[in-house]
Amino acid sequence: MPSHPKDRKPESHRILRYLKYALIAMIAILAVLAILFVGNSWSLARQGILNVREFWLSAFVRGHGPPTVEEIGLVRPWMTFDYVNRLFILPPDYLRTRLAIADPRYPHITISGYADHNRLDIGTVMNEVDGALRDYLINATSIAP
Amino acid sequence: MTNGGGVLGLILSYVLLYKYAALFVIVYISALIVPLPSNAMLVAVGAFSSQGYFNFFASLAIATVANTLGDLTDYGITRRWGEPAIRKLRFDRVRFFNHLREELRTDAAVTVFTTRFAGSMSTVTNFLAGLVAVPFRTFLLYDFLGNFIEPFCALGFGWLAGDYWSYFSGTVTLAAGIVAASVILFVLARMYRRMLRRYAD
Repeated sequence: MPSHPKDRKPESHRILRYLKYALIAMIAILAVLAILFVGNSWSLARQGILNVREFWLSAFVRGHGPPTVEEIGLVRPWMTFDYVNRLFILPPDYLRTRLAIADPRYPHITISGYADHNRLDIGTVMNEVDGALRDYLINATSIAP
Repeated sequence: MTNGGGVLGLILSYVLLYKYAALFVIVYISALIVPLPSNAMLVAVGAFSSQGYFNFFASLAIATVANTLGDLTDYGITRRWGEPAIRKLRFDRVRFFNHLREELRTDAAVTVFTTRFAGSMSTVTNFLAGLVAVPFRTFLLYDFLGNFIEPFCALGFGWLAGDYWSYFSGTVTLAAGIVAASVILFVLARMYRRMLRRYAD
């Protein structure tokens, strides 16, 4: 709807004022996000997780090899057994045998899905998976030359 | 480590179960209108591809196409039915809305491209672009370009981080927020400067 010429100046001033407020609000949001980002990065650095040099050099290589015993904590309930097998380079039936899994959907089922379907406590199942992985990786390390 | 569950955990379980089909559906729905954590998911898929569980380039192609199709759906809906709906809802009488339409029409390419990195703002731009009838080819070109770069960065970061991707998910989310806020700031600043110049004239 075209504005009346008399309304044009106050109208334009109002829109410019709103835009200015929006700009100030966005700058404030940006500043808060930047502070949170720096705080988050410092927190990761303090925990020894984020070290820029390590991340870009060592982790680049380390993050692409099979996980070790110390990295069993990488396993999460949303992961499928198929993915865990691939991640830790396990024989396809190792977890099925070790955990006595009878579910026909194995390995294409998530750990949490398996626990829910069989009314098992997810914490217990995760501990069993961790234990099975630990045993396998320790044995694999001791057998390796 | 984070990401033990929640929406991202649920999404990732579907991605691991149904692989590329799930990737396509999630990115498409996310591009349509539902604010799903698709960037965090792409970082994870990048990590999965570094472990050989996904193919990096196939994931990139699927994410780019799904994102573009989702954006085109938004654009198509408002291009086809937007104007009658606006008239019915009487938005055409809201002057600020009319100014926004005018601004997008004059600055379509830059706005479409930059808002690809502005999270949910990109969906708003898709709807507005259809409404102001931004030329289809212009929209497609800049949308596709932005939709290629964004998942490339997310997948690439995940690939670099490898098994350690989830340690950085909070930092990545904040970084994505900073980029999104910067883009919105950039678009608003351009709009403000242009309007200031126009009113001075």
